[in-house]
Amino acid sequence: MVDIEKEINKDRRRFIKNVLGGTIAGSLLLVIPLRATEYIEQIPGMKDEDSVFTEKNFVFVVDITTCIGCGSCCIADKAEYKVPDGYYRTWVERYIIDDHDGVFVDSPDGGLGGYTKPREGLQNPIRDTFFVPKLCNMCKKPSCVQVCPVGATYQTEDGFVLVDNTRCVGCSYCVQACPYSIRFINPTSHTAEKCTWCYHRVRKGLLPACVAVCPTGARKFGDLDDPESEVAQLLRSPHVISVLKPDMGNDPALHYLGLRREVV
Amino acid sequence: MHQESKQKYYAHLIRLIIALVAVILIGLGARQLFKPEGMGDYGHYRGADISDQKAVPVRLGTNEACFQCHRPIRTIHKSGVHKTVSCEVCHGLYGDHIADGKKIATLPVMRGDELKDLCLRCHNKIITARPREEIKVIGMPEHLQDQHVQLTHTCDQCHMVHDPLLWINQAKEIVGVATKQPLKNSTP
Repeated sequence: MVDIEKEINKDRRRFIKNVLGGTIAGSLLLVIPLRATEYIEQIPGMKDEDSVFTEKNFVFVVDITTCIGCGSCCIADKAEYKVPDGYYRTWVERYIIDDHDGVFVDSPDGGLGGYTKPREGLQNPIRDTFFVPKLCNMCKKPSCVQVCPVGATYQTEDGFVLVDNTRCVGCSYCVQACPYSIRFINPTSHTAEKCTWCYHRVRKGLLPACVAVCPTGARKFGDLDDPESEVAQLLRSPHVISVLKPDMGNDPALHYLGLRREVV
Repeated sequence: MHQESKQKYYAHLIRLIIALVAVILIGLGARQLFKPEGMGDYGHYRGADISDQKAVPVRLGTNEACFQCHRPIRTIHKSGVHKTVSCEVCHGLYGDHIADGKKIATLPVMRGDELKDLCLRCHNKIITARPREEIKVIGMPEHLQDQHVQLTHTCDQCHMVHDPLLWINQAKEIVGVATKQPLKNSTP
């Protein structure tokens, strides 16, 4: 009899303990907000990195044999920067090559809405078709920096080409100089704007927006000097890999995996 | 007499030097006045812009950021073939939903035709450019006819959008038909 009473008392004690514990824990959750910077580090060693320039050698690899043209990257990019309609910091082009070696390229709304219709008006059967995402090439020798008259466009020591929109006077010289047509003049601020490989995200240890959302892993970003990184392993092993317009001499840090010679 | 003429002789030079010094001083002053702070710290640009660029707010979170609160969907989403699909591409941005750790707005849940359009961004057979990594593609409305369902059906009436084969395999298990295996998983 006594034993049973003891057990009941024990159980009651445990019950009260649990209820009290749960209430306190629950109310604490409501009182202490989640920290806004509660992100998981996606690029090793970048979250607590605080120097002016990083020691890393970032490269971007686009695998055009994997891109499915879904346009997720375009959605993410437009949303991250609130890019005005009709302007694109990154976009996806569709290449169609017919059996007479005719090349047809289209990119309805920069691929923002995805590709919903097949290309119309083709005379010959299609031999090959693929998607090519485009973004800033982060040239090692950037033409845009060379031509900027006011020092608004510059190259950081770790290779990012950025635009200081407090300095930019909107002369569009860089827009003309860029061999890859990446730049545009923002219609509201009237300053030059371009893809930055999400500099602000990378410095916080996050992957660029387009890389983070790519469902097939066609966009890859990482440190070439880190032998463990995926990009280093790709670029340091045998692959069909190339850059756009190598003869321009800009020495881009954006590499394309499986690039066809038709792509410009 | 001789001295005086010498002074007169150099007068124009002295005026020129005074003018030059004045111009240089005005130039240096103007440079101090108009040069933005930090210009030339690291090169021909405003050095402080690097910290400005770093301070651009992050608006797109990560799937893990969403899963911190959305627990039940986390298990389903991460175990299915759609684990590489970003929450924010379909539902909208983390930055539009959360500010300073607090919810500021509700994000949309796609229904009907909007949802179908989202699915067909990847799974549309008409788009012939398809890569070596295989993903399931279907033609609409052939797929609905093949599955003997009404042509007004939307994708989410059969497919759990976060794990497209979940319900189908559960149903098959119940009736004792072999379950469908997903195609080769896409890269991580």
